[in-house]
Amino acid sequence: MAAILAKDLLKSAVALAVASLLLGLIFFQMGAPYAGVFEISVVAGLITVLFMLTIALTKQGDDVRESKVVKIAFPVFFVAFILIDILVMKGILARIPAIAATPESGTFGEVLWKERSFDLIGQLAVILAGVLAVLALFRKRDHHD
Amino acid sequence: MINSWVIYLIFAAAMFFLGLYCLLTMRNLIKLFIGIEIIGKGVSLVILSTGWARQSIYLAQSLVVTYIVIEVSLVATALAVIINLYRTNQSLDIRKLTRLKG
Repeated sequence: MAAILAKDLLKSAVALAVASLLLGLIFFQMGAPYAGVFEISVVAGLITVLFMLTIALTKQGDDVRESKVVKIAFPVFFVAFILIDILVMKGILARIPAIAATPESGTFGEVLWKERSFDLIGQLAVILAGVLAVLALFRKRDHHD
Repeated sequence: MINSWVIYLIFAAAMFFLGLYCLLTMRNLIKLFIGIEIIGKGVSLVILSTGWARQSIYLAQSLVVTYIVIEVSLVATALAVIINLYRTNQSLDIRKLTRLKG
């Protein structure tokens, strides 16, 4: 919540890091240590650094005026949404057919490498695409200058 | 377990609402991107809590790890785009981006 409402962008980025830290702790509590480690190290660490770098590079454009109605209307909308959410969620969940819970066998590594190996190829492709996109964007800017 | 699953789902829906509200109302590009991040966090919480409730935590974990890797790539690219837009327009205000229309 503070990530959105904070006026200072740096505070928003720090609030986002704290939120992902808490989410990582919830992941640990659920018994998902790999996802928790990834969440804390990558999202709370790397992405926060990237955000801070961007905020530092774009410091001059910091003075974007948000409309004041947004902050005033936010608690009303949020409380209304939470109430509707609590009322509706149980009804929705009751309609979902119960899937038989079958306990998994094996370890996390086996599931990741054997069942989801196609995802890993996709991940590699996305990382390569991201690197190429960043390189292309910055090279174009140098050329432009 | 089911009760805490419902609590996690409500929490995730609240995060989704926060991100959506941020996307709809804010004018700063970086804040819009923080809204997208919050939506992504809510979705990964839904995936993992459902896997936890259905006792297939490993599959959910591998999906969340995949999502986090993709998210990093997305963030790097989007922040590069934001920096480029800032250097072109000298502002992060999305209202000034209307000059892009032909």
